[in-house]
Amino acid sequence: MDLRAGDSWGMLACLCTVLWHLPAVPALNRTGDPGPGPSIQKTYDLTRYLEHQLRSLAGTYLNYLGPPFNEPDFNPPRLGAETLPRATVNLDVWRSLNDKLRLTQNYEAYSHLLCYLRGLNRQAATAELRRSLAHFCTSLQGLLGSIAGVMAALGYPLPQPLPGTEPTWAPGPAHSDFLQKMDDFWLLKELQTWLWRSAKDFNRLKKKMQTPAAAVTLHLEAHGF
Amino acid sequence: MLFQIQISRMKTSNVIWVGNYSTVVKRDPVLHWSWKSELPLECATHFVRMRSRVDDAKIPEPRFWSNWSSWKEADAQKSLGRDPLFLFPKDKLVEEGSNVTICYISRNQQDNISCYLEGQQIHGEQLDSNVSAFKLNKVSFIRKTGTNIFCKVDQKDVIKGIVLFVSKVLEEPKDFSCETQDFKTLMCTWDPGTDTSLPKRSSQSYTLFESFSGKKILCEHKNSCNWQVDSDSQEMYNFTLMAENALGNRSVSVLFSLTHRVHPKTPYNLFLKNVSGTKATVTWKVHPIGNYSTLLCQLDLLGEGNVIQQHNVSIKENGEYLLSELEPDTEYMARVRCADANHFWKWSGSISQKFVTAEAAPSEALDVWRNVKSVSGHPTVTLFWKPLSKLHANGKILSYNVIVENLDRPSRLEVHSVPATANGTELTLDQYSYQIHVTALNSAGPSPASVIVVSGDPGNEEAEEERINGTEDGFSVSWKPQSRKAIGYVVEWCDHPQDLPCDLQWKNLSSNTTSTVISSGAFRPGVRYNFRIYEISTERMANLLEKKAGYLKELAPSDNPQVVVSNLTSHSFTLSWKDYSTDSQPGFIQGYYVYLRSKAEKECHPGFKKATLSDKSACCQHRIDNPEQKTFVMENLQPESVYEFLVTPYTSAGSGPVDTFTKVTTPDEYSHILIRIILPMIICVLLIMITCYLKSQWMKEKCYPDIPDPYKSNVLSLIKSKENPHLTIMNVSDCVPDAIEVIHKPEGSKIQFLGASKSLTETEFTKPAYLYLLPAEKNYSGPGPCICFENLTYNEAAADSGSCGHFPVTPQAPPSQPGPLTSPENLLKALEKNYMNSLGEIAAGEASVNYVSQLASQMSGDKDGLPTNPPEPVHCSEYKMQMAIPLGLASPPPAENSGLSSTTPLDQSEHYR
Repeated sequence: MDLRAGDSWGMLACLCTVLWHLPAVPALNRTGDPGPGPSIQKTYDLTRYLEHQLRSLAGTYLNYLGPPFNEPDFNPPRLGAETLPRATVNLDVWRSLNDKLRLTQNYEAYSHLLCYLRGLNRQAATAELRRSLAHFCTSLQGLLGSIAGVMAALGYPLPQPLPGTEPTWAPGPAHSDFLQKMDDFWLLKELQTWLWRSAKDFNRLKKKMQTPAAAVTLHLEAHGF
Repeated sequence: MLFQIQISRMKTSNVIWVGNYSTVVKRDPVLHWSWKSELPLECATHFVRMRSRVDDAKIPEPRFWSNWSSWKEADAQKSLGRDPLFLFPKDKLVEEGSNVTICYISRNQQDNISCYLEGQQIHGEQLDSNVSAFKLNKVSFIRKTGTNIFCKVDQKDVIKGIVLFVSKVLEEPKDFSCETQDFKTLMCTWDPGTDTSLPKRSSQSYTLFESFSGKKILCEHKNSCNWQVDSDSQEMYNFTLMAENALGNRSVSVLFSLTHRVHPKTPYNLFLKNVSGTKATVTWKVHPIGNYSTLLCQLDLLGEGNVIQQHNVSIKENGEYLLSELEPDTEYMARVRCADANHFWKWSGSISQKFVTAEAAPSEALDVWRNVKSVSGHPTVTLFWKPLSKLHANGKILSYNVIVENLDRPSRLEVHSVPATANGTELTLDQYSYQIHVTALNSAGPSPASVIVVSGDPGNEEAEEERINGTEDGFSVSWKPQSRKAIGYVVEWCDHPQDLPCDLQWKNLSSNTTSTVISSGAFRPGVRYNFRIYEISTERMANLLEKKAGYLKELAPSDNPQVVVSNLTSHSFTLSWKDYSTDSQPGFIQGYYVYLRSKAEKECHPGFKKATLSDKSACCQHRIDNPEQKTFVMENLQPESVYEFLVTPYTSAGSGPVDTFTKVTTPDEYSHILIRIILPMIICVLLIMITCYLKSQWMKEKCYPDIPDPYKSNVLSLIKSKENPHLTIMNVSDCVPDAIEVIHKPEGSKIQFLGASKSLTETEFTKPAYLYLLPAEKNYSGPGPCICFENLTYNEAAADSGSCGHFPVTPQAPPSQPGPLTSPENLLKALEKNYMNSLGEIAAGEASVNYVSQLASQMSGDKDGLPTNPPEPVHCSEYKMQMAIPLGLASPPPAENSGLSSTTPLDQSEHYR
């Protein structure tokens, strides 16, 4: 596409106008506390990173379990995994969640999932798998800290775990090895679903926090052009 | 008591197993007996019954069976829950290669159930309406987390699975053995083989049991175990190693005497002492084994990685050995290992130490050769020597000593020290004989001297060169001995004869040798190698015997000589290539081929024969068999023809490249004659022209002066000879012009026109008007002699016009009087008319240039006095140089220059002559 001289002048004029009005944009003129925006953005980025990391880890672990757990269309019933926090939720309910509840659910879910994942790590037979799981647990711990940071920035208290209700991921006496494998499968699956949901949660929070600045920017664009 | 047991499956009549169980029945007995069903008991109802009889030898025959007990039913399905689907056996552990039967139990007969093993659907045998069994034969190990088997109910969210843990077969430990290093601990080692452990299911453990002592320990490692020797009392040991996992065990035993299983520790403190050039003492220590044990130590001496010497030394604790027959300045390695001297079991680990022996004086004299040449009249000897081999150098050579002794005249010895990096030196000597001693020096001393005698007079260095042929092995050189006093021979050659220096090589041969094969890795095909064979006299002086030259393999010449064409005539020319060196070619040059081709000639000249070139073109070829003939005359050629020639040498391997011909064009036959005539002529003309140029002023004065000298004019002679012998040249002072008269010449009047009387008569009718310049009346004394100058620069027409004439003028019409023609206006009118008439005859070609001839006089500067009364007599006339004036510039001149005819304004179309 040819850039004509007239276009260049137009772009330059627009750029100058935008620069002229920049000091007037309140959202960009902040010099004090940046607020929870950056923390939310970082948390969002971390969820995407963990999602990517889990994809690799789950592939390795499900191969370790063997077929049918590593088959793409394997979708067993959620038998023994009832204690796992569910990520799936009705869309209307999800929309109606307030920020505090949304963040609290995320925090609680990852607290439980991290605990289960550490149990999984202890049972892994190969050193390489244990290393991968330990690395992922560290990353998940970071996500938990990040969520806690966002909650603190917004002034929400962290949910306190009830004493004696530390979740465990040890097979019960009647728990067969196959069911144990199913639970492992569901743990990874639920973890993945939670990461998807968290990405949406934090994206929603991010947009919500950026809304005033965006409105000003839109107004500015209309004025400039 | 002997019990007979029957087991039925699904129904009592279906007996699947019968067996006996014998045991001693005590009072109040509760007997236990177990049976493993191949089919999981949950899969089908089983029934069992038994009967018994006495099985005691004390009780005499006959012994009778009791009645069968009633069938006892074992129905595990009853205890199952209400799940719609069950799969059995749950998480079973089997050994690889076993046969396993699994089954599922469905609560609903309508359900369509499919089962999968590792993702692959399996089909089983239906035992009843609710139960199906699958028999897996020789199951194999897939992964440590087990083999997954699951069944699911189609169209329902029901799935049940089991994990079948397949363990690898437990192997018997291999290479089980025990040994001690210190009679305190026995270390038993083995190769465990395949690891059969499964996480959370089966682990593999090893137990060591000693039967004499009855002790048993659980080994911490999978491949080794340490057993503490309690006392010296136990000499024999019988160990049993048992490998065990969840599915079984394997064991292996070994029986040995402790003293036969001594594996000493690695010796330590290995040192070399008193290392000289040929000897060294080695010392080392060993860890003591018991109080009375003796160790056999093996001492190896290694040089360049190979074992050179091996010695066995029996020691208790300290070892020492004197190594001898070592080479000076050589790196060695001493290595020691030990074993029990009484009962060899295993060598200990080795300890080694490198050392270098001391230097010794070089053991052999240098191999020295010389090259004598004369530089500026002085014989210069270049000495060469081959570096001593490591074996003979016995150390690092620090320098070479060259001692020169004059044999003819007693004088002081000259000593030259040559650095170790050099392998030769150059000496400038006088015309005497010298004995030269060369020794190599290292830190331990000098080598034996190598003596060579050279004479300042090179003597007869000439010998006839003989050609030899090279082979793959080299050059076979042989010679004829000249004297019986020879103490040896030397063959000398250059490895790189085309380089400088040529890398001189030599080979010493004994006196009884008359032939040898010279080989070198540097020899290349196509290179000429020259060999010189010298005889070494008893005085150690070298005399040239023979010369040989040869090629490892002759090659065809790669280049053709540079040919010069000379003596080119119309019928011949000469080719010469005298600069071509036959010695530096890739083969012995045997001669030359001269190729000639011409489009004009189809046949070859005598001495030539037809040849076809590689491009299939034909040409004529002449062969010159003498390699030293480097000229050739091409004769019998056609004049003015183009010839192409090529000269290429040939060797036994072929001729040079036949590619680029040189063209020669023969001249015509007369060209040389023409050249002999034309060239001198051209030179003469040039000389004349140069002379003329140099003498131009003189020539001008002689031939065409600006002001012709009337005395020199040829007109004068012409007039004198033909017309009037009395006519003389008027002196300038005699002619005093004082009037101008314009006369219209009457028709038919006869005018004596100088030099062209006839033509003038003819032109009188066409040119009626003339302008006459007459002298002033005042001093005019009538018709008198007056010169009429012929303007030689004018052409013939100018002569016709009578540009200058002097005619008698009547006194009645003095020009000074007022009259129609005396005033300038009237004069101009008259002139205009006459000019106009005369102009009509001007050739059109002359119209482009105006020629202005000024008839100047001294009066011309005085415009007022000219027409009336000139106060001073003036010369008759003066000529001025003519000028060619461009048309545009022929404008009327300024008024002050006006005078006489020159004042007439000229139109651009008019011409004034």
